[in-house]
Amino acid sequence: MEILAQLIVSGIALGMIYALIAFGYQLTFATSSTLNFGQGEALMLGALVGLTLVGHMNYWLMIPVVMVFGALQGVFVERVGVLPTLKTKSEFGWIMTTISLAIIFKNVAENIWGHDDLTFPSPLPTAPLQFFGIRVLPMEILVVVGALAIMLAVEIFNRKSIYGKAVVATSNDRDAAGLMGINTGMVITFSYALSSMTAAFAGVLVAPLTLTGATMGAVLGLKAFAVAIIGGLNSGMGVIVGGLILGIAETTTGYYISTGYKDVPGLLLLLLVLAIKPAGMFGKSVIKKV
Amino acid sequence: MVKIISVILAIVVAALLPTVWPNPYYIHLMVVIGIYAILLLGLDIVVGYVGEVSLGHAALFGIGAYTAGVLNFQLSVPFLLAVPASIVVTALFGAILALPALRVNGPYLAMVTLAFGTIIQILINEMTFLTNGPMGLSVRKPVFFGHHINGTDYYYIVLVALVTALFVVQRILKSHLGRAFEALHDSPIASDCMGVSVYGYKVYAFVLSAGIAGLAGSLFTYSEEYISPNTYNFELTILSLLAVIMGGRKTRSGPILGAIIVVMLPNVLSDIELFRKISIGIAVLTIVYSTYAVATSQRTLKQLMLPLLATIILAASGYYMENITEHRLTIFGVMILFVVYYLPNGIMGFLRGIVQKIRPQWIHRHEEISEHGDKQHVWSVPDHRVTAKGHLLEARNIMMQFGGLKALNEVNLEIAKGSVHGLIGPNGSGKSTMMNVLTGIYKPTAGEIEFNGKLITGATPSSIAGEGIARTFQNVQLFGEMTAIENVLVGLHHTFRHSLIDVVFQTPRCRKQRNAARVRAASLLKFVGLDDLANEEARNLPYGKQRLLEIARALALNPSLLLLDEPAAGLTAPDIKELIVMINKIRGHGITVILIEHHMDVVMSICDKVTVLDFGQKIAEGAPANVQCDEKVIEAYLGGSAKVAA
Repeated sequence: MEILAQLIVSGIALGMIYALIAFGYQLTFATSSTLNFGQGEALMLGALVGLTLVGHMNYWLMIPVVMVFGALQGVFVERVGVLPTLKTKSEFGWIMTTISLAIIFKNVAENIWGHDDLTFPSPLPTAPLQFFGIRVLPMEILVVVGALAIMLAVEIFNRKSIYGKAVVATSNDRDAAGLMGINTGMVITFSYALSSMTAAFAGVLVAPLTLTGATMGAVLGLKAFAVAIIGGLNSGMGVIVGGLILGIAETTTGYYISTGYKDVPGLLLLLLVLAIKPAGMFGKSVIKKV
Repeated sequence: MVKIISVILAIVVAALLPTVWPNPYYIHLMVVIGIYAILLLGLDIVVGYVGEVSLGHAALFGIGAYTAGVLNFQLSVPFLLAVPASIVVTALFGAILALPALRVNGPYLAMVTLAFGTIIQILINEMTFLTNGPMGLSVRKPVFFGHHINGTDYYYIVLVALVTALFVVQRILKSHLGRAFEALHDSPIASDCMGVSVYGYKVYAFVLSAGIAGLAGSLFTYSEEYISPNTYNFELTILSLLAVIMGGRKTRSGPILGAIIVVMLPNVLSDIELFRKISIGIAVLTIVYSTYAVATSQRTLKQLMLPLLATIILAASGYYMENITEHRLTIFGVMILFVVYYLPNGIMGFLRGIVQKIRPQWIHRHEEISEHGDKQHVWSVPDHRVTAKGHLLEARNIMMQFGGLKALNEVNLEIAKGSVHGLIGPNGSGKSTMMNVLTGIYKPTAGEIEFNGKLITGATPSSIAGEGIARTFQNVQLFGEMTAIENVLVGLHHTFRHSLIDVVFQTPRCRKQRNAARVRAASLLKFVGLDDLANEEARNLPYGKQRLLEIARALALNPSLLLLDEPAAGLTAPDIKELIVMINKIRGHGITVILIEHHMDVVMSICDKVTVLDFGQKIAEGAPANVQCDEKVIEAYLGGSAKVAA
């Protein structure tokens, strides 16, 4: 029983990182029905840039710098990869361009930071805290708190500020929002900036817990796909629940079956959700008007 | 004819190649090109025709390879059994992926197949009892009649497989199946309403494509004689997609060209000197072209800035780098970006474009269909006989709610058999919503619909179309990139009742049905007066003619109920007269019609009964003359009280 509780606690921290990346997918999907297949690479770049910066400054000071870097990277992806393809009705264009940007980022990172995984110095004590016999790393608590805080901040921004209204309007009906004088192109660019910013933030949060390297992003980005589909591409609550389900499913499978198979339940769950409720567990299915 | 000769010539040249280059290394390279070409042919069905992105074809290729490998290694199954087994097993995996992933529109297939690719690699690595894990499997080339197949023999086996695959894929894509793939990509909604289920045919295309990937995979196993999990990685997926779009989508030659490029690419990238020469060549070409394009003001400098810079940086970086293999993924990425933006139709599409400028008569985008229509082939009996007595369609207490808005509120509608039933009302009164509910595009919040004695509430649009309800659309939904006659042939899709085998072997049954459909399509076009525009692309027709084409396409479904959504919009006064004659003829042949129309003269002259909707509620119903005098109706149309106005 204690082992199970321990696995659940570790699963929660992992799941929150998945949720945060999936949240990034939702941000851009809402405004432009596109998503960045290089979201994992945005996270990886955030972590590696953070690692370089940490040599020169304090961890907490580094976070805002990395977030600005992430936002700029998002703008770059949107301008180079997404914007020119939005005119065509096919999804082929943006999927291919965001993937190709992702492999370019990964390859460039490999050539700058090398092929080996690097350790990220932990800003918090590495000794685990004990709660009723369950060991929790301080960093794990930071991950959960940090992830929830940034999601909450973005949600409040979208709901309360006039800029947020523009984002919501664009996600409801891009053409109508454009006719009302909202610069929808700007809103889409902004959503990409926000999305990559959260990914970069997730990168520096998770880096001290795992190893940092050019290949760290791909798998995380992939898991977040599963989370986004399981929870629903348009449900904020969905990604958190989806992230927790996947995180816990992975740690328990890893322990009870084999670490080699720990990535399998995610895909099975993904196919199952699509088969039963395609819009996701918390997603609303949208009626397409003719 | 020229085409057949050039294809035969190409096969002969390919057959002679081993005698020209007897070097085993080159022969092996050609075998790999052949195998990749087969894989890409299949991938093109999904990417080019259906317009979905699969990021799992490397994994499917791997499943094919491992099925053959495991069967041979663990159970000593012979080559001729292992290859078909690979096709079947891979197609099954394709179905497991496609059935859930294609239920929703959006990037789901790409996301799911990407995840699938990773999982398959993990499974191959982990399931050591079957696959021998990271150690890989060794397989020998087959022995036929005591003769051990060598590299050159295997080249001919792959050549036969490639030619067969080309032949089969070509026949499928030129048949009604290929037409269905193109139609669902062009306009999914129209496709569903013509009885061509978008979901069904997308899954079909993906499974087909997976089966072909399985064939390629199994051939690869015997070619390499050793397989290990790392071959089937994400890089292979990226390379295959690059190859398909670079070669040219929706062509048979494109995948072959693409295969040559991606197999040669790693060789080019391993030789820095060669890479430098090629990249400088490309840079020079781009500069020359840009100067030309700017000088003749075809393009602005701003448009050309990005590719110019990119190619120059590429050429310069060749001298800066000592080892390009380290940077190959960046180069692949840049190539994909370049192809997506500047070569969207691939190399074959680009060449086609050039030929079309010089010799337009050489390029045929569509098959010319020259069958002549006549009057006796216009009509046919419905697939499901009308058995209902009295009312053909009964909609009971239909409620359609969008959020808080009730677009339809407790509406009852009874349509008498053989009548023309008018449905009128001011804008936003719920007429088109009613159409969409009846054809299954919307699922009503409450209420039930009985058609021809059968409950059809909640059925999919394509199955409702199959029951015999055809429709036209208020905002025209034609298959724009197909010709007029091809549009009608999509409507006739239900008359093609033969299997994949019939298509591949072009059996008499298949040819008979195809010819009958063509005559029928030509006759239907003649009926609506479009016979001289049969081979014109639908998007080039004027608006009024597009509406008529929609009617012809709807009639092709052999409906017992035809829903016309504002057919007179955009027609001139003489055309409207012809339309009235046409609708009367349609009714004369026993087809019941529901007519939404704003031209009151049309409604009043042909409708037997009229239903008036306002704010989602039925406010009047009856003979046209009575409805015209109804106070509520006048109030709805003109506002205010009729008495005050009087």
